[in-house]
Amino acid sequence: MAIDTTVFVRERTGLAAYLDWLQALTGTGLILFMWSHMVLVASVNLGAGAMNTIARFFEDTYMAQVGGPLIGITFLLHFVLAARKVPFRSEQQSVIWKHGRLLRHTDTWLWLVQVVTAMIILIMGSIHMWTVLTDLPITAAKSAARVQGGFWLVFYLILLPMVELHVGIGFYRIGVKWGFIKRKDRKGMKRFENILTAIFIAIGLITIVRFLTLTI
Amino acid sequence: MGRKLTFEIFRYNPKDPKSVPHTDGFQLEETDSMTLFIALARIREEQDPSLQFDFCCRAGICGSCAMVINGRPGLACKTLTRELPERIILMPLPVFKLIGDLSVDTGTWFRAMNEKVGSWIHTDKAFDPAAQEERMENAVAEEIYELERCVECGCCVAACGTANMREDFVGAVALNRIARFMLDPRDSRTEKEYFDVIGTDEGIFGCMGLLACEDVCPKNLPLQDQLGILRRKMGWTALKNLFSFKRT
Repeated sequence: MAIDTTVFVRERTGLAAYLDWLQALTGTGLILFMWSHMVLVASVNLGAGAMNTIARFFEDTYMAQVGGPLIGITFLLHFVLAARKVPFRSEQQSVIWKHGRLLRHTDTWLWLVQVVTAMIILIMGSIHMWTVLTDLPITAAKSAARVQGGFWLVFYLILLPMVELHVGIGFYRIGVKWGFIKRKDRKGMKRFENILTAIFIAIGLITIVRFLTLTI
Repeated sequence: MGRKLTFEIFRYNPKDPKSVPHTDGFQLEETDSMTLFIALARIREEQDPSLQFDFCCRAGICGSCAMVINGRPGLACKTLTRELPERIILMPLPVFKLIGDLSVDTGTWFRAMNEKVGSWIHTDKAFDPAAQEERMENAVAEEIYELERCVECGCCVAACGTANMREDFVGAVALNRIARFMLDPRDSRTEKEYFDVIGTDEGIFGCMGLLACEDVCPKNLPLQDQLGILRRKMGWTALKNLFSFKRT
């Protein structure tokens, strides 16, 4: 905390609160979207027909055409909002890195994981959205062809854990920040979050393998 | 025969131009129920009288002897050496001004913080020294006391990633102070007035929920729960006043 050396009256505004609300709300929206997205894509494990039917439903109702870009905007908005807290100055980066290594505190490390994954997701998530949304309709055959091409296999093997880690930690972080997770529940919720993240990564890996083995 | 403890202690005197920050090693035989405070006092008495560190009560009440113990902020007088490995690394608290070696000036920081958040009962009522003290419900008094147990040692601030990165962040200790006055029926400040103090990125909305404050607090204060309550309360206050923030 800096010691006041200037005399001024700060404007009364609720900006910090509104931005924090928006960060939490866009975060919650994206968490729910990502979990639903994973479950929907995993429908390919029940057969290509299941995934095609679901994809067709979202396109026939224009949810993909309209919802897709809306998710994209929410995604970028969430980045800008959360970036308010991200250390971009090298001085701050060095402080938090040394602090993290010295303190050896899980939740502090988890935050750093969120920051690093955020940067990777920003780039890879944008590429993924652009590729999928500019090549509608979504079909199991097209997705399988992409994964079987090799490049996208590596791409998704990186993006999958990045997203699931970011989303899982974010879910826990919103809970503790806004007081939904209380002191007595923290340990249990952290365990729950870890298990949930592991389950979603497992579902994702199974789905990637399914795309890899799908006959086009 | 106790363990042979090795202490690596940060040494630097900012007032001495010839002094260079470095680490000095000391060896000491562990005794029964040895605290870090006892160990430091022995090192100073038997090995190096120039070693600087703070202490006062020796019982976890004054908060003077906070330091970074093997990476974690804690009170030297409350830390038993048997809970630590044989190699003990001691450093002064970050964020605060270094006086020398392990001694930091928490006083200036805490004074400024208390002034900044108005850490006293705000009331328009004239004080009548002859009148009986106003009564409050026992449950309320206990709730206030729970938060009032803070000894201002500075561990929560030193452990906070945000406070380390941004010197304008008031830290969990200040937010806990405000939570305490919010509970106090004698304080006449409204939620909007509290919002003006902590409804910013220097206050509750600057907190990133890393919770190191909660995990290192030597008094085990319910910081996680209080920070959550404050964020929700201040968040609602902002929504209620969505169109009515004016310069007054």
